Amino acid sequence: MNAASEFLRRSIDKSADLTHRSIIRKNIDHYDAAVLRGRARFADWEAARERCAAIKHEAIENLDQLLIEFERKILARGGQVFWAENSEEARDYIANLASDRGVKRVVKSKSMVTEEIHLTPALEKLGCEVIETDLGEYIVQLRNEPPYHIVTPAMHLTRVQIAELFREKLEGVTSDEPTELVAAARRKLRAAFFSAEMGISGANFLVADAGLVAISTNEGNGRLCTTLPKIHVVVTGIEKVIPRMRDLGILWPTLAAAGTGQSVTTYNTLISGPRTAEEIDGPEEFHIVLVDNGRSELLADLEQRDALRCIRCGACLNACPVYRNIGGHTYATTYQGPIGSVLTPHFRGHEFDHLSYASSLCGNCTSVCPVKIDLHHHLLQNRRNSVQAGDHPRLERIGFHLWRWMMMSSSRFSRLARLGKIASRLGKAVGLDPLKPWTAYRASPDLPKQSFRDLWRNGRV
Amino acid sequence: MLPRIALFIPCFVDQLCPQVGVDMARVLRRIGCDIHFPEDQTCCGQPAFNSGYWSEARDVAQRFLRVFDNTECVVGPSGSCVTMVRKFYPELLGADAAALSKFYEFSEFLTTVAKIDELGAVFPHKVTLHDSCHALRELGISAGPRNLLQKVQGLELIEMNHADECCGFGGTFAIKFGMISAAMGETKSQNALATGAEFVTSIDPSCLMHLDGVLRKQQSPLKTIHLASILATGEQQ
Amino acid sequence: MSNSSRERILGRITAALQQKSPPLPYVPRAIFAPIPDLKQRFELECQNNYTECIFTWGVEETQARLLEILASLENGAVFAEDMPFIRDRLRLAPRDLTWSSTGPATESSRATITRAKALIAATGSVFVTSSCGGRGGSIVAPVHIVLAHESQLVPDIEAALVHAEREGLPQKNSFIGIITGCSRTADIEKLLVIGAHGPRRLVVIVES
Repeated sequence: MNAASEFLRRSIDKSADLTHRSIIRKNIDHYDAAVLRGRARFADWEAARERCAAIKHEAIENLDQLLIEFERKILARGGQVFWAENSEEARDYIANLASDRGVKRVVKSKSMVTEEIHLTPALEKLGCEVIETDLGEYIVQLRNEPPYHIVTPAMHLTRVQIAELFREKLEGVTSDEPTELVAAARRKLRAAFFSAEMGISGANFLVADAGLVAISTNEGNGRLCTTLPKIHVVVTGIEKVIPRMRDLGILWPTLAAAGTGQSVTTYNTLISGPRTAEEIDGPEEFHIVLVDNGRSELLADLEQRDALRCIRCGACLNACPVYRNIGGHTYATTYQGPIGSVLTPHFRGHEFDHLSYASSLCGNCTSVCPVKIDLHHHLLQNRRNSVQAGDHPRLERIGFHLWRWMMMSSSRFSRLARLGKIASRLGKAVGLDPLKPWTAYRASPDLPKQSFRDLWRNGRV
Repeated sequence: MLPRIALFIPCFVDQLCPQVGVDMARVLRRIGCDIHFPEDQTCCGQPAFNSGYWSEARDVAQRFLRVFDNTECVVGPSGSCVTMVRKFYPELLGADAAALSKFYEFSEFLTTVAKIDELGAVFPHKVTLHDSCHALRELGISAGPRNLLQKVQGLELIEMNHADECCGFGGTFAIKFGMISAAMGETKSQNALATGAEFVTSIDPSCLMHLDGVLRKQQSPLKTIHLASILATGEQQ
Repeated sequence: MSNSSRERILGRITAALQQKSPPLPYVPRAIFAPIPDLKQRFELECQNNYTECIFTWGVEETQARLLEILASLENGAVFAEDMPFIRDRLRLAPRDLTWSSTGPATESSRATITRAKALIAATGSVFVTSSCGGRGGSIVAPVHIVLAHESQLVPDIEAALVHAEREGLPQKNSFIGIITGCSRTADIEKLLVIGAHGPRRLVVIVES
């Protein structure tokens, strides 16, 4: 069983799951309504997309210089920067740091990169307790599941399911009321915030000119993770850097509008280093782990370089009709939906090419992306790359050779199509269904005896 | 003066739903177009292109353009096939986009070239429109078909929820990931049914074949019909 | 330690960037509608994001409203940023205050009272730094009260960041925060719940 056949099996199951379908539909309808309101705050939403695309484009095209400038500023303020080529190096750095400082408890604010590098198991192996503090992440952590969606990790669960989970794992939960559930999580996580020795966060942006790490949350968990513990570790992809602090004036509102329909996320935080000598609180140590893990290779792919613009808003997931039917877990990758399908073959190899095929190429993703990544086009390119890599089934390659041979002659095409229809009718007559892949899910199509060219030739048009 | 029109009849329309081509030809004649059918055409190459077999697609695409070499205006009843030519041939073949601008989707031709919307069509039924993805997002076709439908005598056009959500066909996707394709088709058919319409129409016959298959399997009373077939109704002018 | 990876990563990036993408020109144009009345817009946005916005005229009215708010809180310590603007307005406060000069806000703080560095009209946001009662001063307690002045209103986030640049705020503070409403989550069925890990009540007193 490989990743592709596993994916197919799970997608079949999930597509038939009508309960799942209606939960996701309800959530996404909410999201769609919120985004309409969010976009209405812009006099010119298209201009916002263009400007954000231009900023990220500039950042990617100057990635080396900007990263160097960012690093210089951070180091000057007492922070530490570690460059990790891959997951292992990143994990090892953080694990060694935790071990060296005697860290027993870690609080985490949401970071997809920490999922990507599988950080939590590595810390747990050392005997650290790692607690997710984003409510959605906390919920899936309690359920021992990966996040279902990069922005709303528990989108697949109803309040009833969450209430049951909380009744089992937390105290003071008597109803399904979301207010009560959130309060219970807050009470439990409070203790963690105040006792953890290390806070780990991601970064939404890295600001080069001022040397800042930008972190956005609605819950305030990112704030607490980066205030109370004495060590703060930022784990981020190298592509998150932007040129100027003032660029956030358009990036923050656009990210929020596309991600949740808000005007801006509640807490937009900028951190330049550990606490200064004059400050009354804040971490004593500030570490930034810059993760490559395949990003520099994607940068070298001129055709698909723009995928590095991604600001992880989740809009493409919500827009994708395939995602709406199979949900996030079916992908079994860190990044799901259209951006996940585009990136994963680059980060993890051709084993994940099937994700690029699991799309009807409707293009909705491309139309909603706030930084104008040509997502559905990249899926097509991934498919081409997949065929060129050479491990498609021989039968399929022969099939397309035959297809080409047939289509290079109109008389051949006509003859073979006619034969095909006859064979199909004969097949049905003896109980075979040559159109099985189609008819498994749809009624058998009528096969007209006369083609358009037959009709034209007979003067019937 | 309307240009002389070469009919682009996609391979699957030719073989599986030729009536769509017949109806489109009827409408074009009705508005006074001189039409011809380059019989040597086969396929635009999209199936191979979409599957990642660009080298095979390239050969077939180059042949396709040669077939239409000495034509001034080409009209086809399919948004996805016309998109392949106009939007993807430049990348696949290095073809000049300007040279491809003579290829039109049928409703697009009526709206932007012929600039005719009153066709004398009569179709006294409740109809809902599915926006096919290529036409909408690549060619910008949305208002044109609606306008044409609204001018049809007796026709009541009802918008469905999520009219622009993909029906789930997606070419080989419909076979490779049939279950997901069917689920998407179910959602689309539910939205169409909820309008109370008797017919769901589209400018793309591939969407309609897929939806028809889904609806027939559900034994639904809702019927599918191509836009060209609606416009072809009514008496000759 | 990290040097060799750093060199390899930077090397790959520089090599990749030998090939430049075609430029992506952006024609600058208005993205947001201009804001004619900053105060009015700030008030409207506060309503939208669940911030209690109170306009006062002069120190005395601010003192009075502060007393009302403090009276509405649970019993317990209230943390305040130690600076003259705030001391003046809390002179009449009957309850015990913990001042930032003696340490940061703690878990037992029922509320924190801090200044802001700016108020942002377009989004109804409060701009703070670590000098406003530390990093914790604007996040640790269930109620956060901001004492600001009308002259601190700026149109939008970009203006606030430009102002921060000019004042050298990123260099002087390890933390800068833009706060828009009280903490919230929609992680459960996409239903909005106010009051997650940060304050569930944010009050901004704007004095003229």
